[in-house]
Amino acid sequence: MTAPPLNRVSYIEDDEDIQRIVRLSLERIGKMSIDIVSDPEEAIGRMIAFKPDLVVLDWMLPGIDGPTLFRRMQARAETCRLPVVFITAKASARELEELRALGAAGTISKPFSPNDLPAQLRAIWDALPAHARGQP
Amino acid sequence: MLVADRVAQLYGQLPLGIAASFALIIVLAYGLRDSRQTWMVGTWAAMALVINVARGILWWSYQRGERGSSDAEQWMRWLAIGTLANGTVWGVLAGLFFHLQPAQENLFMLLILAGVLVGGIAMYAASWPLYALYGAPVILLFTYNLMAHELEALQALAVLVPVFYAACVGVAYRLNQLFLSGFRSQHAFRRLNTEYAALNKRLARQLEELSDARAQVEASGRKLTLFVEGSPLAVFELDPRGLALHTNPAAENLFGYAASELNGRAIAEFLFTPEQRIEIAARWREMLGSRRPVMLLGQPTRRRDGNAIVCEWSLTPLVNAEGRVISIIVQGSDITQQREAERLKQEFTSTLSHELRTPLTAVIGALQLVNSGALGVSGPEACEMTEIAERNSQRLLDLINDLLDLEKIESGKLPVALQPMPLDELLRESLVLNRAFADRFKVHLELLGAMSPARVYVDRRRMLQILTNLLSNAAKFSPEGGIVEVTLQDLGAGLRIAVHDRGPGIPADFHSKIFNRFAQADMSLTRKKGGTGLGLAICKRLTELMGGKIGYDDRPGGGTTFWVELPKYTAGSA
Repeated sequence: MTAPPLNRVSYIEDDEDIQRIVRLSLERIGKMSIDIVSDPEEAIGRMIAFKPDLVVLDWMLPGIDGPTLFRRMQARAETCRLPVVFITAKASARELEELRALGAAGTISKPFSPNDLPAQLRAIWDALPAHARGQP
Repeated sequence: MLVADRVAQLYGQLPLGIAASFALIIVLAYGLRDSRQTWMVGTWAAMALVINVARGILWWSYQRGERGSSDAEQWMRWLAIGTLANGTVWGVLAGLFFHLQPAQENLFMLLILAGVLVGGIAMYAASWPLYALYGAPVILLFTYNLMAHELEALQALAVLVPVFYAACVGVAYRLNQLFLSGFRSQHAFRRLNTEYAALNKRLARQLEELSDARAQVEASGRKLTLFVEGSPLAVFELDPRGLALHTNPAAENLFGYAASELNGRAIAEFLFTPEQRIEIAARWREMLGSRRPVMLLGQPTRRRDGNAIVCEWSLTPLVNAEGRVISIIVQGSDITQQREAERLKQEFTSTLSHELRTPLTAVIGALQLVNSGALGVSGPEACEMTEIAERNSQRLLDLINDLLDLEKIESGKLPVALQPMPLDELLRESLVLNRAFADRFKVHLELLGAMSPARVYVDRRRMLQILTNLLSNAAKFSPEGGIVEVTLQDLGAGLRIAVHDRGPGIPADFHSKIFNRFAQADMSLTRKKGGTGLGLAICKRLTELMGGKIGYDDRPGGGTTFWVELPKYTAGSA
């Protein structure tokens, strides 16, 4: 059984420069639709509206951090089944393990290569079990 | 010993005996000169005088001579001969000159003989056998003389004389026993006296040693006091119940209590919370039980002003020779600032990591997108410039990563996940990973020789980091078209990976610095070929972290061999 292709990605990131790089990377190289959210407080509302296949969260966000947002998503019926990939500058084994324990689908460490990012996300997507790719 | 004493006593009385003998001989010779034959009396007197002169000489030699106890027997024998001779003098007197007529002289002689015998008792009190020897010739010759007479009264006297003699010997014996016991007591007393003197001497010496020891103890006590008083650490001396015996000025300053407030009190009640005190009491009992020092690390400690500081405490029991704990020296050092500095450094490192990586992510990402051509093609010069920018941003990132790695290793915060791994597989993998890099320098990486399947106990990622460092260094410094040879050697207890290049070698003045930070022999090469100057420093620390050794040798014919040795993994060696 082949997995459905990864087309829609929500990206929560406060750094505008990185937002633009990721937008170019996913749209131009990855041919995906991307919805970028700067304010994590708005994130869940925007996800419900955008209906992404996958959510990419930055670990460090203003106000509430990535893991906190992730827990809030899990508390909401509309977002609890969305696969989440963390982008983090912290690469220690303990922190990666912490993320897996939270239920993250995968992690990408900073700095990432925008040329490779779409492929990395697709690899994570393809490796997910079928039930984890459910739409909200 | 006793013989010597008796000899001394006997010789001591000898002059008196000789003097008495002389006097009696002269008196007798004078008294008998008319009633007896003159030549006989003269001859007897001369013989008697000679004998007594000889005894005088004997006495004189004894006085001059050495009086060791071994000679005492000999002196006793000489004395016995003299005594026998002297007894014979009186015996000859009694045997030759005791006649019936005239009776007046007989009475005179009888009195003198009795006197000689009785006086002898006192003279020879120290040795009754000597007395018996002295009296024997007198009695024998006298009795013989008396028996020769027909007169009944004299024969009766002949019987009485030996009885008298026996009585005298008996008295001499009793007296002798008395003397002996006297000597014995004297001996015992002398021995006691000697022992007492020796004891006294020993006691005096011990007293002297004791006073020396006390002076030493006092001196070291003064030194200790100086150390304690001047110590920058807070020092308390506590008794085994935890009550303060002494508090030094640093402790007063650190905690804000005067020594007089703390001494005699349980200091734990001033410095720690009740919960802490329960834990500390357990450690305290452990210390008293084992009589070994214990450390209390990172204890929050309350000052008088209510502020909490973090202290490191060491508790050292002072144990006496019997193994009893006399007191406990407690040292406390304030590590609040040290802790704060550590926290700041950690925070700084973590901030640096994030704050530097985020902008670099943007820079490198942007440049990579441009250079990928996904955004359209720019002119060749613009392309060259953005490639330079990308390469240098990458270098900056490598440098940050290396610095963070080094910082983590040195602060002991680098997590290493050690597991048994076959080293040959790691080696093959590292060659695959670095082939592309080597290709850029047109250098070929080649695995040579037999591979050992033995395993080592390492962190996979860190081991690959080490190998990548060595391989990329070798590639960078090899001449174009060169070959980097890689070998894996089985050393028995360990494995040795060696990376051989044909580069320019390491300059002699650089040998000792090669594993230092930012150690690059030729800085222009850094710019030309990349590298942070931290690679080998990290390799060395990582290798040591995994229990291995790293080094290098000059290669015969030019070039350098870098090697890493790791102990083999055996079940149970972890």
